[in-house]
Amino acid sequence: MSAAEKMSRRDEMETLLPFYLNGSLEGSDLEAVEEWLASDPAALAALGEAEAEFSGTTAANEAIRPPADALSHFAKALDAEAGPAPAPASASWLAQAWGRFMAVPVGVAWAAAAVLLALIIAQSFVQPGGKGKDFEIAGAEGDLAKMPFALVKFKPDAKMSDISGFLGSNGLKIIGGPTADGVFRLGIPAANAADYTKQLGLIAAQPFTETVIEGRKPVDGG
Amino acid sequence: MTAATETDRALVDRVAKGDRAAVRLLFMRHHARIYRFVARQTGSDMMADDIANEVFLELWRQAPSFEGRSEVSTWLLGIARFKALSSLRKKKEDWIDDEAAAAVPDSADTPEVVTMKEDKAAALRRFVDALPEEHRTVIDLAYYHGQSVGEIGEVLGIPVATVKTRMFYARKKLGEALKAAGYDRGWP
Repeated sequence: MSAAEKMSRRDEMETLLPFYLNGSLEGSDLEAVEEWLASDPAALAALGEAEAEFSGTTAANEAIRPPADALSHFAKALDAEAGPAPAPASASWLAQAWGRFMAVPVGVAWAAAAVLLALIIAQSFVQPGGKGKDFEIAGAEGDLAKMPFALVKFKPDAKMSDISGFLGSNGLKIIGGPTADGVFRLGIPAANAADYTKQLGLIAAQPFTETVIEGRKPVDGG
Repeated sequence: MTAATETDRALVDRVAKGDRAAVRLLFMRHHARIYRFVARQTGSDMMADDIANEVFLELWRQAPSFEGRSEVSTWLLGIARFKALSSLRKKKEDWIDDEAAAAVPDSADTPEVVTMKEDKAAALRRFVDALPEEHRTVIDLAYYHGQSVGEIGEVLGIPVATVKTRMFYARKKLGEALKAAGYDRGWP
């Protein structure tokens, strides 16, 4: 073996030594290092040097002290979070957007909801008939001005699929919001006050509903 | 299986189902190392605190997407690395604050003079700290975080061959610095 080849082999072994020391070396690399350690008198000294680097690096890292209250800070931030986002493969674009929205802190989330709502409305405009997948988004301003509505706030852990399914099956429409507090204006397709009250009760009974406040009733007013 | 022996992957499975206690357990297991990794990347305790918290919030949000192709620790380090780089990019113009400036060696003493005041272990620690970031990171990941060549490649987003090259030069520089300080170790 020439000097150059020997040097090259030593370089290779010196490169692998940190991984030998941290126990992650395996296969032919592990065999090569063990063979080198067993056969080359310089190898054990090299191992000692690598161990000194190991100690020095550990000491340098452990000199950094995380804040003592890190866990309590994290716990507070975690409490403000909704549940984990669903796996991407099983989620529609809307559900994914909702998941991301629900994953940010509550205050930010409800502000971001305005952006999400704008996206939903934009989507309704580019689709014939202005319809989303599961529920209708209100379109013309004239219709909105006349429509009976209620003010609704959804729970932070509400699922988009549940809400959209409910809205769609009951002919309900998001016509405004959310406010900074996360309140949506929900159009209620009620012909009279009794129907309006019945539908409000239905909305209030949903597990994803946090608050329902009576808004404009149908013209027979009750 | 008790909580004390539950594997990281089992805990991530619980997190994916919305178990907040599981994410707190993972936080307690891994936070110090993630914090230190980010602190070494950014040179800022404040950024390390914020980013380390964000890493575990990301774990909470993304647990259902974890496919288990890597160790949880490697996954967390990868998230930490990405977030640290993003934060550094945002602060590119002014991130060398007082804290970072304080870490710059005082030029009043030459390295040799400084080293004479220290023992070899302290000198080595200083030399590790003084390595270029890309070299120090592979040293940290191998020696302190126990990552394999492949895992370091995954965390840093670089090929295995590049990991080895960086490790080679990192150790070469350490050897040269030690030699210059009077501690000849015979290689390089």
